[in-house]
Amino acid sequence: MSEWPLERVDAELWEIPAGAMAGMRVPARVFADEDLLAAIERDRSLDQLVNVATLPGIVEAALAMPDIHQGYGFPVGGVAATAAPDGVVSPGGVGYDINCGVRLLALPLTFAELGERRERLVHEISRRVPVGTGGRGAREGLRGAQLEEVLVGGPRALHERLEIGTERDLRLTESGGRLEGADPAQVSARACERGAGQIGTLGSGNHFLELQRVERIVDGDAARTFGLREGQLTVLIHSGSRGLGHQVCTDYVRRMDASLRRYGIELPDRQLSCAPLGSPEGRAYLGAMAAAANFAWANRAALAHRVREAIRAVLGAEVARDTLQVYDVAHNVAKLEEHGGRTVCVHRKGATRAFPPGSPAIPAEYREAGQPVFIPGSMGTASYVLAGRAGSMDRSFGSACHGAGRRLSRTAVRREVDGGELRRRLERSGVAVRAASARGLAEEAPEAYKDVDRVVEVVERAGIAARVARLRPIGVVKG
Amino acid sequence: MYTWVEHTAELELSIQADSEKEVLADALQALAELLDPDRRPRPTETREVAVSAGDGAALLAAWLEELVFLAESEGFVGRELSSCALRGERLETRVAGHLGRPRPVVKAVTYHRLCFEREGDGFAARVVLDV
Repeated sequence: MSEWPLERVDAELWEIPAGAMAGMRVPARVFADEDLLAAIERDRSLDQLVNVATLPGIVEAALAMPDIHQGYGFPVGGVAATAAPDGVVSPGGVGYDINCGVRLLALPLTFAELGERRERLVHEISRRVPVGTGGRGAREGLRGAQLEEVLVGGPRALHERLEIGTERDLRLTESGGRLEGADPAQVSARACERGAGQIGTLGSGNHFLELQRVERIVDGDAARTFGLREGQLTVLIHSGSRGLGHQVCTDYVRRMDASLRRYGIELPDRQLSCAPLGSPEGRAYLGAMAAAANFAWANRAALAHRVREAIRAVLGAEVARDTLQVYDVAHNVAKLEEHGGRTVCVHRKGATRAFPPGSPAIPAEYREAGQPVFIPGSMGTASYVLAGRAGSMDRSFGSACHGAGRRLSRTAVRREVDGGELRRRLERSGVAVRAASARGLAEEAPEAYKDVDRVVEVVERAGIAARVARLRPIGVVKG
Repeated sequence: MYTWVEHTAELELSIQADSEKEVLADALQALAELLDPDRRPRPTETREVAVSAGDGAALLAAWLEELVFLAESEGFVGRELSSCALRGERLETRVAGHLGRPRPVVKAVTYHRLCFEREGDGFAARVVLDV
């Protein structure tokens, strides 16, 4: 149980003052209501957030979104901005699954029109999308020059070489699916080996692919802009940079841990290892991280391609052709952005960029509505589409939450939930399930997560992002 | 002896043993429990696993990373520590195990709260695995 001195700033924001622990350079701030805060205080989330506040060059505050929970180094749901050029970049502040993120597709079909074909569609998607950690079965396996093209160019390389995805998909992807400065030379041979065969694979843990129906429209104008209507079918894809990203993070946590003394950096946790943005280590990591982020966007593009193939097989070529990408957002990444008139490196560890209306970083067709933000809840509850609001720039370095946030450990939820029984329960409630293992399914049970409605309400009341639509799962494929 | 400590999102492994070699042997058992929980076949394969790092805790993390990589790339699940030489910044081991289809559960071995140190008459270690 955390015992940090929390001061209430306003209805949705709490602060641990910078003097609460020696070494803190800025306060630690948490967006939450009383109930969420009570859950947050039960694990080490706040200890980790306070540790983040010690990073050299951190500005304003170490921030936590309402889905914050205990992670490693940074808490999950953490945001930290460091000032260029002297501030640091921390690979642990991005995480092992670099550019883990979500992509939403919208079908030109309603739940009612899908009718009896739901089970067949979920089955077909599960048949075509390899799961698990390994890359066996990945048809778009890349080697040598092809992999390098993806590391530099992201999904555009797949589009140009293999006709995967569309120009529209690329445009409606955060950063166009490509971070500048990607440097394959900074990605180790082992990282390339791990990732090469894994493009187009879902992964394990909390990665999933969900068939959903739009249950409720909250903001009709924004929903129309995003191409969403009540009853419509959507597919949400949650995956990342797979073994390639894991290895990049592993390599650079180790390398920066070894260079801390040289830069005179002392940290309360080795997982926060970091280096100045302008140092050889910092620049090398940013180049490797950008390459891994581009790989992750390409991976989700390949997954979307497989989903469209499944749709073609079950619902026909016309429906597949008219299945449009709503957007694709990263939630584990570090980016150089302008905030408060200066360039900062924004670390988002389990947090989503949520730029407001008018931002030039948003595709033209969405600029009036604000950037789409996707908040998956759990396979038994709901997910949300939101749109970024001005408060994100004022309060959270343009960031929102990335999910409901875990509240129970994997072992605790396995004590409460039997995988087989959960599958039957989900099926009874109208969710078709395809999972690699009953154990893995149980670990991701709805009971493991916080109330997504409450998390999203806090984000909205804080002025960070506003609800557009609530999506309800009708089928889930789990790694 | 190893135990799994409650952690909201990841897996935290805690080990207490009489010697450094026993810590490594326990870590191997714990990893095997995660990777292949339902089977305990007789070891039929061996792998030489050698790593270098600046201190004992980083050596433990690097060694486990190698074992995770062997599971992911070859399907090798280590069960027994056949030999072990720990000298300064170098750890050389021979690990016996089997080939199979290990569960794809461990993404990475983190440095979060990482330790491998003398405690009383024995040794203690703690590793958080990203899953």
